[in-house]
Amino acid sequence: MRKHKKHLDFEINLIPCIDLLSVCICFLLLTAVWLNIGSMNVKQAVGGQSQAETPKKPLMWVFMADDGQLTFNVQQSSLIPAALTNLKIAGLDGHANVGELSRILAQLTSKDPGLKTALIQPRAKTSYEDIIALMDEFKKLGLTDLGVAPL
Amino acid sequence: MLASQSVLHETALQTVVGSQSYIHPKHGKWSRVLAADLLLTALIDAFSILVIFLLMSFSSTGDMLFIGKGQELPKASLAESLERNPVVKLQDGKIYLEEKEVGVEALVESFLALRKQFKETHPGAEYPGILMIQGDRRLKYEELNQVILAASHAGFSDIRFAVLMK
Repeated sequence: MRKHKKHLDFEINLIPCIDLLSVCICFLLLTAVWLNIGSMNVKQAVGGQSQAETPKKPLMWVFMADDGQLTFNVQQSSLIPAALTNLKIAGLDGHANVGELSRILAQLTSKDPGLKTALIQPRAKTSYEDIIALMDEFKKLGLTDLGVAPL
Repeated sequence: MLASQSVLHETALQTVVGSQSYIHPKHGKWSRVLAADLLLTALIDAFSILVIFLLMSFSSTGDMLFIGKGQELPKASLAESLERNPVVKLQDGKIYLEEKEVGVEALVESFLALRKQFKETHPGAEYPGILMIQGDRRLKYEELNQVILAASHAGFSDIRFAVLMK
């Protein structure tokens, strides 16, 4: 008589697993967000305390010209020498010269590490992209309190 | 000899496609399988890796902003993560507040209405005064200026510009 050997192993049915994974992949592919969106935060000075009450912090005004030229004006800083308080950077192909800008900003922040505030004054025809690029460059060099002045 | 006893050889011969089972054979004798084989283990491995990757890259913040056709956000490398705040969208010369078109002259009024609505729904809480601006990268500042001015008039002190992370 033939003896049947009892199988102790079992088989996993892979078809439902594949079905489940396929549905999971389809759902995730459909709901996936491929663009990573963030936000560039700007503090606008609105009302609040009077000027006399607010502590004097080093402040830098940046004026953007239509041709990409940037004019810096550093105020309320005793550490930055007078020669560096008013500077101009010529534009490059109609945009701000980012390389020169980082060099000057690094120089200013090394003289006065307390310089954290920058106010940007764009012109009517300044492109939004240029303003954001400038703010991004400021943030890279530690100027975290940024503001955009209205026209 | 070794090749005929290897796992690969067995897998290739006994697959679901070939309706063969190694553990519970239907026939006493192995018949030759002519059907094409699929290596299901490798397929499930690939699927699992894909699912894990998609789950890791799954972002729930993307649905806060709806980027219109032809709109390109400016790029920035040091941007903060998005939070749910009132959104002002500038597109095709029109201004939309929370996806509703608003005229320039009615902007301050609409912002104040938002403020009032917040105070009604959150009694006693201080209004955060945060506004998100979503605009195309080629936009000129004169267009943006009217929103910034209106926001300042309505007491929105914290303005956030929507950007694409580099």
